[in-house]
Order: sequence, then structure tokens, then C-alpha cells
Amino acid sequence: MKYYLKLGFILFVFCAIASGILAYINTLTAPVIAERKAREEEETRNSLIPNADFEQKVTDQGMIYYVAKDPAKDELLGYTFIAADVGYSSTVQTMVGVDPEFEVLGIQVVDQAETPGLGANCTSPSFASQFSGMSINDLYVDKDGGEVASLSGATITSRCITNSLRESILDVQDEDQIGGEQ
Amino acid sequence: MTFIKELTKGLIKDNPIFVLVLGLCPTLAVTTSVINALGMGSAATFVLLCSNIIISMIKGITPSKIRIPVYIVVIASFVTIVDMVMAAYLPDLHKSLGLFIPLIVVNCIILGRAEAFASKNNVIMSIADAIGMGLGFTLSLTLIATFREILGAGTWLGMRVTPMSYDPMLIAILAPGAFITLGFLMALMNMIKEKK
Amino acid sequence: MNKNDKLIVSPAPHVHDKTTVKNVMWNVVLALVPALIFATYYWGLRALLLSLTGAVTAVVCEAIIQKLRKVPITVNDGSAFLTGLLLAFNIHAGAPIWLPIIGAVFAITVGKQVFGGLGNNPVNPALLGRAFLMASWPTHMTGGWVAVKGAAMSGINNLSHIATNLEQLSPKAYELVTSATPLNVAKSLRDSSFIAEINAQAGGIDLGGRIFTGLTEMETLKSLFWGNIGGCIGEVSVFALLLGAAYLLYKNIIEWRIPLFFIGTVFVLSFIFGGLPGSGTSVMLPFFHIFSGGLMLGAFFMATDYTTTPLTKQGRIIFGIGCGLLTIVIRLVGGYPEGVSYSILFMNVMTPLIDRLTRPKAFGRVKK
Repeated sequence: MKYYLKLGFILFVFCAIASGILAYINTLTAPVIAERKAREEEETRNSLIPNADFEQKVTDQGMIYYVAKDPAKDELLGYTFIAADVGYSSTVQTMVGVDPEFEVLGIQVVDQAETPGLGANCTSPSFASQFSGMSINDLYVDKDGGEVASLSGATITSRCITNSLRESILDVQDEDQIGGEQ
Repeated sequence: MTFIKELTKGLIKDNPIFVLVLGLCPTLAVTTSVINALGMGSAATFVLLCSNIIISMIKGITPSKIRIPVYIVVIASFVTIVDMVMAAYLPDLHKSLGLFIPLIVVNCIILGRAEAFASKNNVIMSIADAIGMGLGFTLSLTLIATFREILGAGTWLGMRVTPMSYDPMLIAILAPGAFITLGFLMALMNMIKEKK
Repeated sequence: MNKNDKLIVSPAPHVHDKTTVKNVMWNVVLALVPALIFATYYWGLRALLLSLTGAVTAVVCEAIIQKLRKVPITVNDGSAFLTGLLLAFNIHAGAPIWLPIIGAVFAITVGKQVFGGLGNNPVNPALLGRAFLMASWPTHMTGGWVAVKGAAMSGINNLSHIATNLEQLSPKAYELVTSATPLNVAKSLRDSSFIAEINAQAGGIDLGGRIFTGLTEMETLKSLFWGNIGGCIGEVSVFALLLGAAYLLYKNIIEWRIPLFFIGTVFVLSFIFGGLPGSGTSVMLPFFHIFSGGLMLGAFFMATDYTTTPLTKQGRIIFGIGCGLLTIVIRLVGGYPEGVSYSILFMNVMTPLIDRLTRPKAFGRVKK
């Protein structure tokens, strides 16, 4: 009995030392990680709607979106938010910027782990750029009769991005109308 | 003399992938591009080096009944450190290696070397063993990734090395390509060894 | 008895037959000739060129590897030729010429010689080659289908009476209805969001349903049977394939169980589950499913390969039903329009297990 208590105590000491070291390193790296993530998001937002002030808002469903305003004229420039949906092998997160009429200004895929060479091509500029200027009714992939040319061999990924964009734009649009009436 | 021997055995004679056939999960999963292979190789080498040093140092004070949990605690700590540091300073590499960084914990090479070598040898030899094995692992990953990236994406380390008209053979960077490439390279390795 | 006759003592088997590997393989090639002729008639010399390229590459590749392995060179037994030909039959006539070459090299090296050559391969090499090409160059394998002479590709050549207002469809929907292969059309139509879309564009009438019914009309089935549709080289005409199959059955080279149960399972299951979601099924639908795609080619020429299929009679029945079941699951539920090749590959891998399950008991032994 005593022997096993001793073993447990030794293991406990090892674990305690290890967790102490990890806690220390975490305090060093956690702020760097958080700051980097925030800066990346901000850079993406700025590239979608340049020269704007962003104000964070939350929809009733808990979706975070940003309202972009022109700092000089206090004029509404549009909205940005992250649309997410399950693709072929991962959740694809796409940041999208829309103008006040909810036409797409631009999109950027921020997180995905789709098949390399097929679905992962969704990060390519040529795929992303075609979304600019599309309205909600255009946001269907070509196989569903819409305007989005799907990536060759990766219809599922293309459809996932397109549908997630459409749905989250609708969400924000609803929210905006309710907000407008109030 | 033995130091040099321990250092070089990981390259060919006891190559962790082609001869010992250890740590195949990351080998198959991350070798889709050379940069991933180098990242994975160096992360695993770092963990292997640190854990070998610590384990050979504490081998006197670890009761043999709980040695495996103690090794795992040591290894897991270093893996977590690598994970956090990489997320903070090399975010792109961290994103593409993804889940496979935490999985270094269960990479058989590291626990295997801890159990088979570091727990029986002194610190200097353990360092030599870790560097040798780590280099062997990294080079093997890079070799596999070289074939897969050139065939499957037409690039090497992100640079285009094939003519623009080359139509990449996608299967090479998909999962089956990993198995096929590994199989052919292992056969080649055996052929070389048999000739000697 | 002649005085000079000696008593010959030898181990079993004692009954010999004239069947040789060479004989069997070249007979199968002969049975594929009608399909090749039909394909050449419908798609021109390019189909013939692609097929022969595949076959010749396979033969050359096998000879080189056997030379390197220092084993007897047996390329004139026809098995490599057959593999190359079957592989090319799985490619459509618009494919680039290097596609059958690389496919044949892969089929022979990784599919066959790596395992030790003829008789040792776990799966059908030609199908493995096709799966490899499919994973590597999906755009070349599934895009750029060529239309046969004087017909809409999907075989719905009587479009006008299906829907007079078809031209009002969005260009993309129109393209889909008139292009690609019948199974592609069937697959898209089963996607309910697409159906809603084209029904809406056609002014509320059930156009999607009507196009679907169009697939199973007598005219379309006739095109499928004689070969007036888009598709791979080998699957152009059910008639030509049946002709070859009949020859092989008559010659006793293939056995009837696998093809019958394979096609039968597809027939029955497509009758039960094949209809559009929300609407009824048609009696003609099973015919559409067994006539389209590579089913006839796969069932008669690939699922009957000696090496990769079960030895026992019950085993062959299980094999056939398994292939049919997987084919229908992939066609109706999976991501690809066609599933014959993958279902055969899957059941090839199952073959040792099936053989084990159906091993006959030794004579005189009591069943446990």
C-alpha cells in the first residue's frame, strides 16, 4: 500500500512540474496567439471593405457580424461576417463582405481542411473573385442553376460555401430589417 | 566512435520509417507537401531530442512500474509546448499540420526511443540517438513528400518545377498516394539493403 | 491395352481440359470485339485508337516488368492485352491519349505485377487502373464527353415532346438535360433542390419529373440498347456487349451466376428505390438502370475475372448480390453517378472472406 502511494506521489510530482512549465509557456504564447488571430480577422475585414470603421454586433441566433461605416461621413458601407458550413471533409469558414443592398463585395475563405488539389482550391483568388457583385438570388452553384462556377471535381465544397454565404446573408438581412424598424 | 554510430544509424540502418516502420500515421498524413514534411519532421525531432534528454536524466529516479506514464507526461509536455509556440509564431505551418501536432504524443518513434534507448543510456548517447532518429524521420518524410508534391501538385517546396502543361496526378496527394509512395520507397530500400 | 503403355502415377488432378490461360483470355478479347466495333462506328476511329493504345501499352509494360523481374515473359497469353483493353473501355472517347497509357501502366504495375503477376492480384487490375485515373484526373475522366453521331448525349433525343418550353430554362439547366450521360442526368434530377429550380423556371409545371420519365421512355431505352448515347467507349451498346457475353457463356468461359445476380439485384432494387423522391416509380425504370452505364460491361467482363472472384457457387451468388447492392447504393445515394467499378473492386477485396464463408465441407464429414 505504502509502495503504491509512493508511486502515485512520484507521478504526481512529475505532472505538477510539467503543468507548471506548461502554464508558464501558455502565459507567454496565449496573448500572441489571440492578438495574431484578431489582427488576421481585422486585415481580412479591411481587405473586404477598405477604409471603414467596424462595429461588432450579435444577431438573435448568436452570430457575430460587423457593421462597416465610413468614418468621415458616418455612412453605412456594408457588413462583414463569417459564414460557416460543413463541406466535404471539414467546416469551411468564409469571411464575406456585403454592401448595404446585400450584394457581395468580396469573400475570403479563412479556415478549411478540404481535399488538397480539389476542394482546397476554394482558397484560390479565381474562385473567390467570381462572387463579387452577386446578390442572394445568384448564390447557387451552376449545377443548382445559379451563377457560381463550381470548382472542378469539388462540387460539394463549392455548394457548401455558396449555400453558407446565402444563408448567413439572409440571417444578417433579417436582423438588419428588425433593427431598422426599431 | 559509438557516438558517431548512434548518430548515423537513424539515416539508413535503423531508419525509423523504412526499416523500423514506426510513426506511420503522421508519415502518411502530412507528407502532402515538402514544407509540411519539414515542419512535422523538425517538430518531432525537437520533441524527441528534449524527451530523450529528460528521460535519460530521470532514468535513475523513475520506478520502473510507472515509467510509461512518466514518459508520456514528459513527451506530452514538450508536444504541448511545440503546439503553443508554433501557433504563436508559425501560424501558417500550424494550420496546415493541424491535428497532427498534438498527435506527436502518440508517435511511436518518440515513446519507442524513450523506452528502447534513452532509459538505458546516458545523456550524450541519448542526444546522438535523438538527433540521428529525428534526422532519419525528417529525411524520410521529405523524400516521400518530394514524390507526392511533384507528382500531385507539380511543385516542390511551393515552387513550380514541372511545365505548365503538366496535369497534376491528384491521387499522389490524396490518401492512397501516401500508401503507394511509401510502398514503392520501402521496396527500393529493401532492394538497396539486399544488394549490400 | 497396348504393351508399350506404361502405368503413369501422378498426383491430382487427373482430368485435363483443353482450357488454357491463353485460350480463355483471347476468347474474352474476341467477345469484346463487337463492342469495339460499335464504339468505333459511333465515335469514329478515336475510340479504336484509345482502346488499342491502352491494350498495347499494357502488353509492353508487362513485358518490361517481367524482364526486370527475371521471370518468363508471358505477354502473349493475352491477359495484359485484355486488361489494357478493358481499361480503355472505361474511358470516354474524348479523353486525351495519355490517359489510357498511364492508366494501363498503373494497372499492370501496381494492380498486377507488384503482387506477383497473373493469378496473384487481389483486385481486377483494369478497374484499379480506372479508379486510379478517376482519383487523379477527375476532370478528364468525367468532363468533355463526346456526343455520338446525330444524337443528344443523354439519349433523350425526343426532348421536344417532353417539354416544349425547354428553351426557356437557364442555359445551365438546358445544358445538363441535353448533355453528359444518362446517369448524370438521373443523378442531378434526384437532387431535389435542382428539381425545384427547373420546375420553377418552367413555370410551375413538373418539368423535372417529366424529364425523369423521359429517361425511361421506350425511345431512350432503345438508344441505350443499341448504343445511341454518351458514355465510355465500352459501354456504348448493350446489344454488342450481350453478343459478346452470349459467346462467352456458350463457350463456358464465364459462369452465369455472378452476372445474373449482379444485374438481377440492380433490377429489383432500382424498381423499389429508384424513383424520384416524392413521386412514384416506373416499371421501365429498372430497364433504364440495367441498360445504362457500365453495368453490362462490368457484370459480364469484369465481375467474372477468375482470379478475383469467389470459387464456390454460393460464393458467386453472394458476390453478385453484393455488387448489385453497392452499385445501386452508389448510384442512388452516393456522390458519383455510376458505381459499377467501385462495387466490383469492393467485392474483389471481400472475395477471400466469401471463399472462407462458403468453403464446402470435406466429403463424409459431419457439418458442425
